[in-house]
Amino acid sequence: MLSRNAVSTCRHRSRACLHAPSRSLASVASSSSSAASSEPSTSKVVLHAAVILNRSPIITRTPTLFERAYYAYQSRIRRALFNPFPTDFYFKTGSLLEKKFAREEKVREREAFGGPWTVKRQGPESEDEVGTSTADQAESMGEEPMDPPAPRIHDSDRTGDVKSLDRMGERNLYLLVRGKDHLGNEVWRFPQGGLHEGEHLHQAALRDLTAECGENMDTWIVGKKPIAVHQAPLSESVKKSLGGAELYTFFLKAHILAGQARPNGTNVTDFAWLTKEEIEPRVDQAYWASVKDILSDF
Amino acid sequence: MSAQAATRAPRLAATAGRSIRRTRPAPQLKPLKRDEKGLPVPHVHVVVRDTHRSRLADHYHNTLQDDLLYMTYVHEPTPRPPPRPPRLTYDPNDPYTKHRFNPPLGGNRWSKQLPPPASPDNIIQLERIQIHSQIKQATVSRTNLLGPIMALRAISGANDQAGGQHTAEGVQIVRGRKNLQGWVRPGIPVGVKVDLKGPQMWDFLSILVEFVLPRLRDFQGIPLEGPSNRLDKPHSASGVVSFGLPPTALGLFPQIEVNYDAYPAPFGMHIHFVTSAKGVGAQNRARALLSGFQIPFARS
Repeated sequence: MLSRNAVSTCRHRSRACLHAPSRSLASVASSSSSAASSEPSTSKVVLHAAVILNRSPIITRTPTLFERAYYAYQSRIRRALFNPFPTDFYFKTGSLLEKKFAREEKVREREAFGGPWTVKRQGPESEDEVGTSTADQAESMGEEPMDPPAPRIHDSDRTGDVKSLDRMGERNLYLLVRGKDHLGNEVWRFPQGGLHEGEHLHQAALRDLTAECGENMDTWIVGKKPIAVHQAPLSESVKKSLGGAELYTFFLKAHILAGQARPNGTNVTDFAWLTKEEIEPRVDQAYWASVKDILSDF
Repeated sequence: MSAQAATRAPRLAATAGRSIRRTRPAPQLKPLKRDEKGLPVPHVHVVVRDTHRSRLADHYHNTLQDDLLYMTYVHEPTPRPPPRPPRLTYDPNDPYTKHRFNPPLGGNRWSKQLPPPASPDNIIQLERIQIHSQIKQATVSRTNLLGPIMALRAISGANDQAGGQHTAEGVQIVRGRKNLQGWVRPGIPVGVKVDLKGPQMWDFLSILVEFVLPRLRDFQGIPLEGPSNRLDKPHSASGVVSFGLPPTALGLFPQIEVNYDAYPAPFGMHIHFVTSAKGVGAQNRARALLSGFQIPFARS
């Protein structure tokens, strides 16, 4: 008897685990909605799906002063200790490429270990020298001079343009839209919408995102499970107009891969790509409390 | 100490005009030992640590870790039932079989274990990458291994005891284990391999994804098994993803490309991505991790 019970619980558990993995948080809502069928309609539950659309960092984090000093120190140790570079294995002896490598290696050596023979970078004449010498090298090797890398601070950071996807390259940005909430007020919130009959959360999330922010974005919803839930406090009049006693908003994470948001203008009028700290002053206290832990600090 | 100070005090008073500190010639520094090449060996054991931040490691910690937790999370509201006691081959209470080797019937079934409960502490991570190549010509003459050893050293940047780290093993020679008639004998060198961890692992992964795979001809992505593949086979539950690269891929590594002619013969290689995933379906979770680093998987 005991063993049979153990087996049956095992089977239940594995079924719940393996075959219904998406029944994670929705079990709260489904249990209350099944209770709603027996009770009067006031205890009906309304579900919304919201998308936390993330733009991942596009450049690496700026190292701190300590990190920079540490890495420079370790690089110097490595340079001082590494095995001699087998120049004759990689270059033909006396070739232009070998001379170029030797010249550049000398500069790198001076930069690493310094000393009175260090190359001076300041001053207009020395800058000219460096410029002409690099141009000569490029000419002699038949290579095109390389473009300098783009600056780490984008123009949108200086102008304060919160709609640009290039702003704050080393931070996680999230799409916040200015639209109507369930009370009809204009608020800042994540893109959201209701669920159709028989629709899954991740399907509804993608549909609502397209409806509010246009089809001009390539997005990818991470998994099928919600990562946060927010229960909005409702007054009696709102409950009547909403047709339910409780309103749950489930948040799903998504990444933007290409494109840009284009608000539809009807229920969403504006949008902004914001970091975690910039989101806090714009949204409601209760709303913030339910989403703050899933937004990245970096 | 205080007694010594008390006895010393009158002498100090007597020599008040001169310097208190006893003078001593500067210590003669012993010259540094020289190694066999004549280079100085420092007094301390110098270890080279990371010299830069790894871009892919940052990407893993910033983005992938969260996503993988959300993708692989399985909600378990109740604690797991205790595992069933294993059925042993012999009755452990029987004094007649008391000291016999008593394994559980049907093995320990490690590949049928459920994965540990999903939590932020045990998110899957990449532990190491192993590059392995079997060189058939090595059985003819072991000098045929020199080219592959040089190529793997160039690709991986790994060296034995590199940077003074005693765990760095560098490129290793794989030796035969079994006696296969006319081919392999135990102990003869048959291939080379190298284990990559840390920054070298991330560098290799980024080079593979950005330089090699996009330029590989007729590359359709790494094939996946069909949905009928069982998730509790040892292969699927070990959390290792492996694939092979053809010999043409060797010339696409930028470290080899610069002097491709210096290497005698191109060779193919196996690449094993060893992750921390365990339990049923671990390989699929490892694939989810690797696809986050833009390694393409395709259904065949």
